Amino acid sequence: MTRSFVAKLAPWLFVGPAVLSVVVFLYGPILASAGLSVVDWNLLSPQVDFVGLNNYRSLLANTDFQLSAWNTFLYCVILVPAQIVLPLLFAVMIHAVRGSRMERVYRGSLFLPTILAYSVAGVAWSRLLNPINGLFNEVLVFFGFGPSRWHTDPDLALLCVCLVTFWKSFGLNMLLWIAALANVPDTLREAARLDGAGPWRRFFSIELPLISPTAFFISVTTVFSVLDDIVGVVDVLTGGGPAGRSSNLLYFLWQQGLQFFQFGPASAVAMVSIAIVLAITCAQFWFGEKRVHYQ
Amino acid sequence: MVEISRRGLLAGSAAVAAATVVGARPALSSDATIEISSIWGPDKPFQKVVDAFNALKTGVTVTNRFDGDYETATAKALAGIAAGKPPAMMTTGWKFGYYARRTLGARDLNEIDSEKAASIIANFVPSLMPLVTIDGAVIGLPWAMSTPITFINSALWQEAGLDANLPDYPDTDWLYEAARKLDAALKGKHATYRSALALSNNEWTSQSFIQNAGGYIIDPDGKLALNSAEAVRGMELFCQPAHEGLWTPVSGKEQDAAFESGALAICTTSSTRAASFPFGAAKAITARFPGIPGQARKMNSGGNFLAVYARNDEQAKASLAFLEFCASAEGQKIWSEVGYLNTSVHDIPLINDFMKPAAGQLQDGLTAETIWPGKRGLEGQTIWRKWVSRMLMKEVDVQAGLKGAHDELAAVLQDA
Repeated sequence: MTRSFVAKLAPWLFVGPAVLSVVVFLYGPILASAGLSVVDWNLLSPQVDFVGLNNYRSLLANTDFQLSAWNTFLYCVILVPAQIVLPLLFAVMIHAVRGSRMERVYRGSLFLPTILAYSVAGVAWSRLLNPINGLFNEVLVFFGFGPSRWHTDPDLALLCVCLVTFWKSFGLNMLLWIAALANVPDTLREAARLDGAGPWRRFFSIELPLISPTAFFISVTTVFSVLDDIVGVVDVLTGGGPAGRSSNLLYFLWQQGLQFFQFGPASAVAMVSIAIVLAITCAQFWFGEKRVHYQ
Repeated sequence: MVEISRRGLLAGSAAVAAATVVGARPALSSDATIEISSIWGPDKPFQKVVDAFNALKTGVTVTNRFDGDYETATAKALAGIAAGKPPAMMTTGWKFGYYARRTLGARDLNEIDSEKAASIIANFVPSLMPLVTIDGAVIGLPWAMSTPITFINSALWQEAGLDANLPDYPDTDWLYEAARKLDAALKGKHATYRSALALSNNEWTSQSFIQNAGGYIIDPDGKLALNSAEAVRGMELFCQPAHEGLWTPVSGKEQDAAFESGALAICTTSSTRAASFPFGAAKAITARFPGIPGQARKMNSGGNFLAVYARNDEQAKASLAFLEFCASAEGQKIWSEVGYLNTSVHDIPLINDFMKPAAGQLQDGLTAETIWPGKRGLEGQTIWRKWVSRMLMKEVDVQAGLKGAHDELAAVLQDA
């Protein structure tokens, strides 16, 4: 083997396993889902009926699907900004006490919920929110307020899921923000301070532009995680209820596929979800990448 | 010292080898290892049944594989069957009856070995066999059956000045009046009391109300029957305590937690709680599920069965050997620790007195939980629950809710 041949082959050997796994475990299933979405098949029967776009048509007419799609939009509107801005706020505050003994305590305690399993978080929160005798209601009653039905109230269920999801997963973004802030050279902050820039000015004119690559990364990944992370909380806390008020597209997909074993409609939901995520991600790249400042 | 010649050694070795071959137990045709996909982990009584069977050394070894809830176990079984590796047996919820038979291909026990199947089935009360007979095929044994009963916190009951002598056949008038009295006496005055009543917001308690009112969700001819006056009456009575503020519908786990902590006074739920509620704290007494005044009771039941999915004849026969043990008095006795009803003909003592009303309901006669037919039948339960929630939340009135449920279910079950 010549050295040039090895040099040409080496990159393929390095990326080969990763590419193979992406093809087998990502693109393969997407293609399979696309195929399943246009057939009526139970995976066992030798009979596979081609139904064209019927699964998509019946999906669009399904009021539970419509409600799940609307809920997904609400989850994104509430949780994506919250998962980006509030962790940044925490990160800025922790950065302000960097080097002190309390930095680790704050960072560790705020990150702690992230390492819990969703099922554990859901069970713990269902105890706290129990409308009959949960801790939250006990506190409300103690202060003279009436008890709330929390996640069993159709008007509050979605917000309760948002609260638990946020509590469970904001820690990762917070760590990313902390790391980004730590990479901003102190000399720049110091120079700005000497030039008379106040804390707000230093943050918006120095730090934010320099951490914009992280901001872009977080904004893209948070959309995925908001769509995905909610499923675990919904399953344990509300089961999609009451009357579908806290369901989202992926929970609806899970129900169709793994509760009802309707693989055609489930695959159609998957394809619709992929299309939505793709559109959002493209929009983020189109709008966001121009505003990212790489050093 | 004894000298052994080469010839002697060879002869001796040959004799030992021959004796070993002749004396060895011939391989049994039933020698097999079967895997059961179950919803019970190693800490549950099912494992004890498996261990007791394996200890008999029948030649069949059973492995209990915990696969999560009914849905997860079914999904895994589906994947296994599609890959040509089905579990020999699987704990199958009754509600999956049609799916198990028509899609997953659960085996007819009679088709595997009719003689053995007949001897196994003979261990169960004959009137219950229709519950596990789908499309004319016996696909399981009615060995994991429960029914909703009424659990009452006796301490709260007593503190509210209510009579501890419970009627044998309570009805909704009696129960709801007691709930009102509990609220009047204890709400805002008692340290732990928070709510009077929970009827369990699930499909089988609402089904019991409809049936006790003389109606059906699906009638004996297999037709949806939610538009009847009887169904409306049953659901009106079911929703009444929620609309009156006596019942805050929550999930089963939250309801159990509230009852166990002494916050909830009355709870109608599965009789299996007789084995799992920590009665030390709740100090419970039990009664039959509430009937409807002036109506004959027609309570339902829920549960699961062990269905055989093995395609291989040896594995299927080995599965029957395990079912034979499950059906025996020994197997049933171990199994009864779960808190299921004794559906066998064996004399198995009740695990505790809390089970008495459940045993009474079994004697009165039980119907099966709704097994939704059709290709999309498994959606039926979720649709029904959704409409029950809407009725409980007063988003729709009962009549409109039942019509909505009927129409949506009819569309889903149209091919049934």
